[in-house]
Amino acid sequence: MSSKVLSTSANISSADSVENVILSARNISKSFPGPVIALDRVSLDLYAGEILALLGENGSGKSTFVKILYGIYTPDHGEILMKTGRVLERVTINSPADAMSKGILMVSQVPQLISKLTVAENMALTLTSLRIHGVKGLTSIKKILKIIGEESEKIGIKIDPNEKVYNLTYTQKQLVEILRAMFVNAKILLLDEALTYLPLLERRKLYQALLKLKGQGGSIVIITHKISEAMEISNRIAVLRAGKIVGVVNTWETTIDQVRVMMFGEERSKQISYVKVQTINPRGEPRIIIRNLHVEDDYGREIVRGVNLTIHAGEVVGIAGISGNGQRELLESIVGLRKIKSGDIYVDNVNVKRSGVRNIRELGVSFIPDRLLEHGISPEESIVENIAACTVRNGINIPWGLIEEISRELINSYQIIAPSTKTPVKYLSGGNILKTIVAREIENAKKALIACNPTRTLDEASAIYVRRRIREKAVNENLAVLIASEDLDEVLMVSDIIYIMNTGRLYGPLTPETPREDIEKLMVM
Amino acid sequence: MVIETTIILRLTAAFTTMYLVALGHSIFEKSGILNLAIDGVFFLSTGVTTAVVVPLTWLLTARGLSLVLSTTLAALTAGLATAIIGIFMAWTLTKLPISHGAVGLSLMFLGYGLGIIAGYEVRLRVGSIRPYTYPDSLGIYLAILAITVLIGLLAYFFIFKTALGTAIRACGENPHVALALGASVLKTRLIAGLLGFFIMGVGASFFVLLWQKYWDIKTYLLGYGWLAFTIALAAGRHPIVLIPLAFMFGGLVEFSITLQAKLGLQADLAKMLPFIAALILMIIYGSTKLRRIFEPPGSLGKVFYKEERTI
Amino acid sequence: MRFIVLRRKTIPRYHTWISTAISLILGILVYLFITILVGRSPLEVLVNIARSFISPSIVKDFFVLIAMGCALLISFKAALWNIGGEGQFYIATIPGILLTLFIFNPRYNPAPAPLVILLVALTGTIMGAFWAFIAALFRAYLKIDEVPVTLILNYVAYYILNYLIFGPFKGRYVYGYLRTDEIPEIYRLNVRVHLPMRGDPLQVALQNLTVQLAYYIALLILAVLIYVFTWWFFKHCRIGLYTKIHGSNPGYLQAVGVSVNHVILLTMTISGALIGLTGSIYLLSELGRIPYEIERQTAGYGYLAILVSWLSLLDLKMIPFSAYIVSALRNAGIALQVAGLGGVEQSLLLIGAILLTYSITRFLVEYEVRFEW
Repeated sequence: MSSKVLSTSANISSADSVENVILSARNISKSFPGPVIALDRVSLDLYAGEILALLGENGSGKSTFVKILYGIYTPDHGEILMKTGRVLERVTINSPADAMSKGILMVSQVPQLISKLTVAENMALTLTSLRIHGVKGLTSIKKILKIIGEESEKIGIKIDPNEKVYNLTYTQKQLVEILRAMFVNAKILLLDEALTYLPLLERRKLYQALLKLKGQGGSIVIITHKISEAMEISNRIAVLRAGKIVGVVNTWETTIDQVRVMMFGEERSKQISYVKVQTINPRGEPRIIIRNLHVEDDYGREIVRGVNLTIHAGEVVGIAGISGNGQRELLESIVGLRKIKSGDIYVDNVNVKRSGVRNIRELGVSFIPDRLLEHGISPEESIVENIAACTVRNGINIPWGLIEEISRELINSYQIIAPSTKTPVKYLSGGNILKTIVAREIENAKKALIACNPTRTLDEASAIYVRRRIREKAVNENLAVLIASEDLDEVLMVSDIIYIMNTGRLYGPLTPETPREDIEKLMVM
Repeated sequence: MVIETTIILRLTAAFTTMYLVALGHSIFEKSGILNLAIDGVFFLSTGVTTAVVVPLTWLLTARGLSLVLSTTLAALTAGLATAIIGIFMAWTLTKLPISHGAVGLSLMFLGYGLGIIAGYEVRLRVGSIRPYTYPDSLGIYLAILAITVLIGLLAYFFIFKTALGTAIRACGENPHVALALGASVLKTRLIAGLLGFFIMGVGASFFVLLWQKYWDIKTYLLGYGWLAFTIALAAGRHPIVLIPLAFMFGGLVEFSITLQAKLGLQADLAKMLPFIAALILMIIYGSTKLRRIFEPPGSLGKVFYKEERTI
Repeated sequence: MRFIVLRRKTIPRYHTWISTAISLILGILVYLFITILVGRSPLEVLVNIARSFISPSIVKDFFVLIAMGCALLISFKAALWNIGGEGQFYIATIPGILLTLFIFNPRYNPAPAPLVILLVALTGTIMGAFWAFIAALFRAYLKIDEVPVTLILNYVAYYILNYLIFGPFKGRYVYGYLRTDEIPEIYRLNVRVHLPMRGDPLQVALQNLTVQLAYYIALLILAVLIYVFTWWFFKHCRIGLYTKIHGSNPGYLQAVGVSVNHVILLTMTISGALIGLTGSIYLLSELGRIPYEIERQTAGYGYLAILVSWLSLLDLKMIPFSAYIVSALRNAGIALQVAGLGGVEQSLLLIGAILLTYSITRFLVEYEVRFEW
């Protein structure tokens, strides 16, 4: 009910005429090695006093576009114009400092803060570059602490500026970003999925702040992949698909389904209905047992706090939750990539608490990591070499003939697009790299599969194939599967049993038929 | 007592040299650039010092100006020459996505070669540099010592208590985030390069002017730059912590020379001592909690390329 | 005006060759520039350099640099910067001296030459491996960067050698210079061929070349063996694959259950072993004895090999090519010294200049530059 109220108030759009354009992006193109075309002649106008939602799937180019506006990327072609006085003038935005001096500020989903420094020290960088409150290079941090203290009092944000960033929670970090936005006096705010993972209460508070900014004539670009969020808060919605603008509509004139069609195209939006492969076997024996597990993160803080979990053969257990609540660390500790502080893990009744990755893998456990470029692949090597490293464990020489065969099979079944098996993996597109990893791990899994965000950057068709394959293997080959995903829809689609992970603890088990609001509540409490 | 004074003078000189070189190197590396050129830069500065101090001394003493002035000017000139290398390194390694280690090592070789070219002619012509160095006066040495420690304190305050120093540290931890926060990574690193290498250059010039009072082409084989490198590593590049470590290593080098003279320790074994000590220091650093406390900057040596697309 | 660096969308063909060529030319230009600044005649320098490219005296360096270039390639490909080539090279000569001059000195304790030579090679390999192993331990378990460690170990190796030459290894049959005795002739690996050295310049050059090849036949065989080994290592050996992956993404090794520390230890040890082997063969083929203050007289192969490896863009196919170039340049440096055009600084400048231009221009392979006004 509240969402309707917000929409109507957001509906009071000032005359959306040309005079009101404060920023105009024209024919922006950007491609990356691959070659991957991230943006293809994108043109978009931003009006004063509006909230524009930029929607699109993963990999549609939304983030790239906004990073160009913020000076992080340089476009291959195209230009950006901004209003100075009464006319639109061409501008070049070379760096974030540049963008900020023009009144543009970007807040990302991952707070851009340096963990080892304090809040004040992080802010010092922004303050210095924009000479806010007269802060210069040789200004003392003590003075800056005072300035920040005073300003945050005014706004009502209660964060100790002398606190080290690594001690802050996710919400607190985002609040620091908001504080920064206040300092910078941003006229154009770019929110790159910045609100998506905030708890509901905080998010609502921020919506209020955004509306206030809008009322003062500021504009906001919100990037999200959640249509509901866009419908709730924006004046206009622009949809990107495969690097092109598919449509720009007024929010009050459109519906969720229309937007979905724009995002996915007619054909694909029909495909999205998903039929789950049903479990025919009764629950198999417990394959993975986790007891009272405590794990520390990279900063020595306990991020998994007493997790108890049993995964049976032939079943898919899904863990939903906002990223950063310990899912990654939990999964990494199961496969041996992270040390365990206390607790036990059993795979097939073997205590693997002190086993290395090698032993756990030899027990038949496969792993799709969250950090692909860190743990998933070796970019300079070819697909064949990557697979060889994973499959060949003994002997002096590598049996290349056999490995080539295996590789070709994987490429075919998962439709991995690569110039040849000998191409270095780094030249593949992000989606194909993920497919390589996913294919390798799923097909290699003999007893268990542990997966973190297995379809994060995949197109819908591939994502469906992967989920289907996972369920097939679970059901047909009696595999125990544990999936942690930031995408609640995915968890609901693929799991037999659901848990929610929140601040290091597991809540559940629940069935996929549990009302969605209940699940979301557990995620944000 | 003459012997005591000599020891104090030499220890002061040893400390000053090692400390300033390690300090300048630390300031530079705190901005995230790996400095493998240190030994070459060290030698280059000594060569430039030699080349400059002799004519400067002639020039100034002819006008009745003190030796202290000419030597100090020579040190500052060497610092400036070295600073040019620092700016070059900072610029190329921030603007271009190239290997810090490779550039550093190549500048090391160039430093050796250019240092030889710089000092060779003067050395040939003049023979001994001793007359052109700082007078053996306790007062002067202690003054320089005091100034050195003062520079160290200022450096500490600068790095940890000012906005610019924080920017330097931020660029060292994560230049991409620093950029997103609004810092100019290029400008920050250029300043770190200018300042750091200037101090290194002055420190290395004290090697000739204050400490050894000797220069020779083969000085490039001494490898003292690597001792300074190790000191900086173990001290976490912290201006204050560097003080005791620089004192220790300066003393070690000094004493190894003394041991050689007094106890008849074979020359090469004596020369080996500081390096063995360096290795031991590394072992202590690497295997204890020291490493957590004195961590290197998070992005030290990492290529900075801002258009990187992440999966 | 600003310039922007962007990743290339597609890599141009033959990038390896073009990049190496550009960095070479630029490097030599930088070197020439410095030469001019110092007041020497660039023309003379160029002539010397050109002449060195066809001089038969580069044969020895060519083979040594192929061998050591491959050895360093193995560690470089793992992103392990083994700068300790000098130390590993010379530390390996210690058992060689011990065996040939003391334990099995033909005057008091003769032994079959092939056996002694084999022992020298074996112990040299082990010593080189050991010296690199120390640095590998520092890197693997103490997480200390291998560059300063290997460099410091170079100095330690020099001083150990010097101490031995000053002391127990001091030559008894030497007058004037301080050095070890000459290694007995029966343990030397040279084949001496006598040719008339007559005819037109081309014939003379060929005869010269033949003499050189025969004299350094052991180094030739060594170069071939090490080259083939390195080829096999990367193409077929499982550890070779791990080595490459370590250079690309050690996190992946972890994720598949391969011990990263073991890979580091193995890779560097193998690298050091090959250098040690080269050192002992070099001792028996060319050095013949070790002079005091070895650091002042070293040919610097440990450093030259770094240039060879880098210049080959870490591509085994390119090693002979870059070994050829570096040997020619080194000899040019020596020729310049001899011709009164300079001292050791010429070699240092040459190496530094080329390495610098190479490190800087290398990015042009994967990135392009755009200028904006």
